[in-house]
Parts: sequence; structure tokens; C-alpha cells
Amino acid sequence: MKTTRKGFTALVLFTALLLATFAFAATTTRYIHVRVSSPGTHELVRVNLPLTLAEQVIPAINHGQLRDGKVRIGHLDANNVNVRAILEALKAAPEGEFVSVQDVGNDVRVAKEHGMMVVHATDKQSKQNVDVTIPWDVAQALISETSQNQLNVEAAVRALENVGDMNLVNVTGQDQTVRVWVDSRSSGE
Amino acid sequence: MIFLAKLGVGVMGTALLGAAALSSEGFIHVKVHEKKVGGTRVNLIVPAALVPATLEFVPNYQLARASEQLRPYLPVIDAAIPGIEACPDGVLVEVIDEDDHVLVKKDGGALVVDVNDPDNVVHVSVPLRAAQSSIHEIAKANGFD
Repeated sequence: MKTTRKGFTALVLFTALLLATFAFAATTTRYIHVRVSSPGTHELVRVNLPLTLAEQVIPAINHGQLRDGKVRIGHLDANNVNVRAILEALKAAPEGEFVSVQDVGNDVRVAKEHGMMVVHATDKQSKQNVDVTIPWDVAQALISETSQNQLNVEAAVRALENVGDMNLVNVTGQDQTVRVWVDSRSSGE
Repeated sequence: MIFLAKLGVGVMGTALLGAAALSSEGFIHVKVHEKKVGGTRVNLIVPAALVPATLEFVPNYQLARASEQLRPYLPVIDAAIPGIEACPDGVLVEVIDEDDHVLVKKDGGALVVDVNDPDNVVHVSVPLRAAQSSIHEIAKANGFD
């Protein structure tokens, strides 16, 4: 009888521990952080947004180019570079293959490395460097279930929930630096 | 004597219930402190449950314009408020420049905005649930909810 009771207690404790572990794992909130700093003017903007919040809010926004969680961009071009075409090209490309675009004022290099889409852009005039690292799943999500000139922001945010702590965007210019990253810390830094 | 005691218990009970109902949705806290000498100091704490109830008595035409402006944003507000409520406490937005410091954070069930500029220190804390019901009260001023 005593042994049965001990066994029952152990089972209850084990179940409670298991549930607590699941609860803890389930409540780990992932954040997307944005930090814009201008050392010259001592300006600093910090945004710490839980990804779950973004996931809930983005589909509710039906304004301007953002509708149903998808953003429509005129020609989906950035500095004469067709982002969607690059993503489509990279989808079929093997790891490490680069797409290079050279313009008068800009250099853009895109690669697929270690399951990430890596973009490095340099604006020669403003001496601005842009480094974007997007997990491949997120890049794929961006162009999933979309028509021409659309990016699926909602799907990308959902995909970001599953990536580890990492830098997504680094922009360094003469006056300003911008950093976008994801982690599980509410404070950001 | 027994009747008085019963009456006292009744009054106390009603008062307690009323206070509990009033404070059920938390409190709106507004604090403004003008930094200049002799500047205004306002410290206002209002039960949040009072706001939607009070809005019921505001004539519709007074809220018509606000209602019209709010309507397009209702789906976003309805998605954002429960979303913010569900997320852990912390700083959502912080802006610092040479003179100003603005902080928007979630603290408990409230959204808190702190502004510190050369002239004023402002602190506003609004319980999220009360904010949502107040917004709906305003939005339905034109028969919309």
C-alpha cells in the first residue's frame, strides 16, 4: 500500500514537472528588436516587439500596401534589384552560389550560405553598408502564397519564431546605424 | 441595535462591492509635472471601469468625429490589445535624443507611457482592457461596434 502511494506521488511530481517544463517552453517569447542610433546627434530608438504580437497585428492591418499580412510593393524593386526574382533564383540555386548585381552607385551580392540568405549591399555614394541575413525558411516564407510584387510578411514573422538568436539586418552609414535582430530577451540589450 | 448592525453590514458590504467593481479593471494614472518653477503638478488616479461607463452618458454627437476616426483602426486595436496583454512586461519602444526621453512599456495589464522632456515629466498608465472597452464605446457612438 505504502509503495503504491509513493509511486503515485512520484508520478504526480513527474507529471507536474513535465507540465511545468512544457509551460515554460511554451511561454518563451521571441522578440524582434530594432535599434537605430545616430551617434552624431545622440539619438537612439529602440523597439522590442514580441513576435506573437506582430503575428496577431499584421493580419489585422488592411491599410495602404499592407493587406491580409502581405505587402504589395510597386515593382518589388530595391535600387533596381528585383527582390522576388532573386529569391526565386536562389530557391533553385545550390548553397554558396552568388547573385551579384553591380550598378553605378551600388554593389549588391546575394548568397545562400549555411541555410541562410545573405545579402550584402554597398551604396558607394553615401558609403552605406547593408548586411541582411535571413534564414532560408524565412526567405521562403516571404514569397510563399503570394502573387507578383507581394511579400508575405505574416508568414515571415511566423517563420522567425523558429529561428535562433541572430542578427537580421545591420546598416552602417555615416550618420546612423540600424540593427534588427531576434532573440528571447525583452529588453533587447 | 441588531437592526443597526445589519444596516451597517449592508452598507459596508455594498461599499466594498462597489469599490471592488470600480477597481476591477485597474486605475488610469496620469501624472504631469511642469519643470519650471511653480509649474503645474497634476496627479490623477481614476478607476478605469468608470471611463466606459461614463462614455455611455456622453451624447453621441460629441463622439461622432472620434468615432469616425477610430473605426478604420478597430480591427488593429482589437488584435493589438489582447496581443499586448498576453506578452510579458517590458519596454516596447524607447526614444532618446539630446533633450527627450520617451518610453512605452507594458507593465502588468497596463500600457505605460513616460515622457521626460526639458519642460515636462509626464506619466500615463492605462489598463489595456479598459482602453479597449472605452475605444469600443467611442466607436459605437455612430451606431457602430
